[in-house]
Amino acid sequence: MPLAIDFEKLFSLFTYDKHDPLLFGSSLFLFFFLFVLIIQRLFSNQKVLRIYSLLFFSLFFYYKAAGFYLFLLLFSSAFNFIFGRLIFESKTAFLKKIFFTIALLVNLGLLGYFKYTNFFLQIINDLKLGTIEPLDIFLPIGISFFTFKALSYVIEIYLEMLEPIKSFRDFSLFIFFFPNVLMGPIDRASAFLPQIEEDNPITRADVGRALFLISCGLIKKYAIADYISLNFDERVFGFPLRFTGVENLIAVYGAALQGYCDFSGYTDMALGIGLLLGYKLMDNFNRPFKATSVGDYWRRWHLSLSTWLLDYLFKPLQISFRSMRKWGTALAIFITFFAVGLWHGPNWTFIAFGLLHSLYLIVGMFTQPVRRRYTDKLKITGTKFHKFFQVVFTFHLLAFTAILFGSPSLQYTLDMMHQIFTYFHPEVFPQFVQAYTTVFIIIVFGYVVHFLPKSVEEKAQNLVIKMPVVLQAVLFAVVIWIVVQFKSAEMMPFIYFQF
Amino acid sequence: MISDKLKQVILTELALKEFNLQDETVASQVPGWDSLNHINIILAIEKGFNVKFKGLEILKAKNIGDLQKLIDSKIPA
Repeated sequence: MPLAIDFEKLFSLFTYDKHDPLLFGSSLFLFFFLFVLIIQRLFSNQKVLRIYSLLFFSLFFYYKAAGFYLFLLLFSSAFNFIFGRLIFESKTAFLKKIFFTIALLVNLGLLGYFKYTNFFLQIINDLKLGTIEPLDIFLPIGISFFTFKALSYVIEIYLEMLEPIKSFRDFSLFIFFFPNVLMGPIDRASAFLPQIEEDNPITRADVGRALFLISCGLIKKYAIADYISLNFDERVFGFPLRFTGVENLIAVYGAALQGYCDFSGYTDMALGIGLLLGYKLMDNFNRPFKATSVGDYWRRWHLSLSTWLLDYLFKPLQISFRSMRKWGTALAIFITFFAVGLWHGPNWTFIAFGLLHSLYLIVGMFTQPVRRRYTDKLKITGTKFHKFFQVVFTFHLLAFTAILFGSPSLQYTLDMMHQIFTYFHPEVFPQFVQAYTTVFIIIVFGYVVHFLPKSVEEKAQNLVIKMPVVLQAVLFAVVIWIVVQFKSAEMMPFIYFQF
Repeated sequence: MISDKLKQVILTELALKEFNLQDETVASQVPGWDSLNHINIILAIEKGFNVKFKGLEILKAKNIGDLQKLIDSKIPA
């Protein structure tokens, strides 16, 4: 039988389809990525070719995800490159401030237009201030991430922490770089840009580490996050009143783990892919559920966003409000976490999520001296018992915010809380374990691994690094096999894409 | 070179008996100097030296040496 090539299908692999972006876990991505990797290695001593091939592939990757909104990415790159220079070269502080303000307004204005226009129109309609039809606005994937990345460049120049880069090509690679363009990490210009000019030697240890990270990412995303979501959480979150408090509570624990595995799984893959290309991206997570306070949690969760907001929003606000002392800090926390909520999306559940975090932090700050006095009196300050209590308490505060994060609307959150507190029925637990054995095992496994000491992860990583290449290949094949077993027929989008 | 007075103001605010503060020392290296305490230290410096900083000046200071320069620029020689 002659080999028939379906050119139409082949062509569609290269064109934009909103239902079919190039996800890290897809076989098409793997095929393209291998091609890019071969070019990178074959021409490892030809920097220009290497950079251009990465630029080209990054643009193609973004085009596959957002179509011709690719031009928005190109605009962001050109605009921020020019304004970085204008801010730096301004002779007076006044002019510097003008250019900086324009840069902020344009970046945040674009983000606001694409992401929040319909949300504000809805508020106007809800408050009966007018009747405005929602606009047909497409949300360009990753806009929150690449806008913040670009903003870090102009802000660092304004604060005289960075000099503008001379090469527009290199700056564009910073903005377009495909491993982090859609979902972060929101790398800082000052950390990424110097890597482009380096020769990026990739050691065997880097390859081993990349393999370890990509394997962890694949398992977190497909064997844990997607499995829990598809087979249990979606059902409970969709119809909380159909389940008892037991299932609702386990769904909340599941949602917290799912959110972490989905996002940190993606980040692991991004970091691994970056490493294979010779770029070290910023780490985004450090075992967030081990946090002993909500403040500690934000030093462990989505670090590239939390440090961005800490440096560029919280600190300036806190300094401006400093005459109000603790109340000034409380106000700065409130505004910062309102922004955190809004950043996640135009939905009241996200805003409530942010405000709840601000409430935790503000109450924590004001009660800290009293709590300290009590733990001192009980002689438990800093003991293992104290730490254990802090971790369990903090985890439950966070798990509650996970309900807001996963609920379609505030009513669903209230329904879940209602079931947990008034319709618990612990006798249902054995039936739940019987009916959802795999889900239960995966949730327990996920948390056990999460709470293992960091040294165990380091040892496992070193083991992979020191393995002979053949064994590494076998290991990776096993991981792929596991993922295929778990992967549902329907492709689950990464949760953070929508932000 | 950072002055003894600046050292004293910082150590008192952080309730530290002794810590080797140098020009290049950054906040994260000093025990207790976190994002919440940062503002208390700035307020203590402003009070101790009877100076007033602009927000942007504080944000630009990368280490203790920069803080010292900022104070020096505000006090007439």
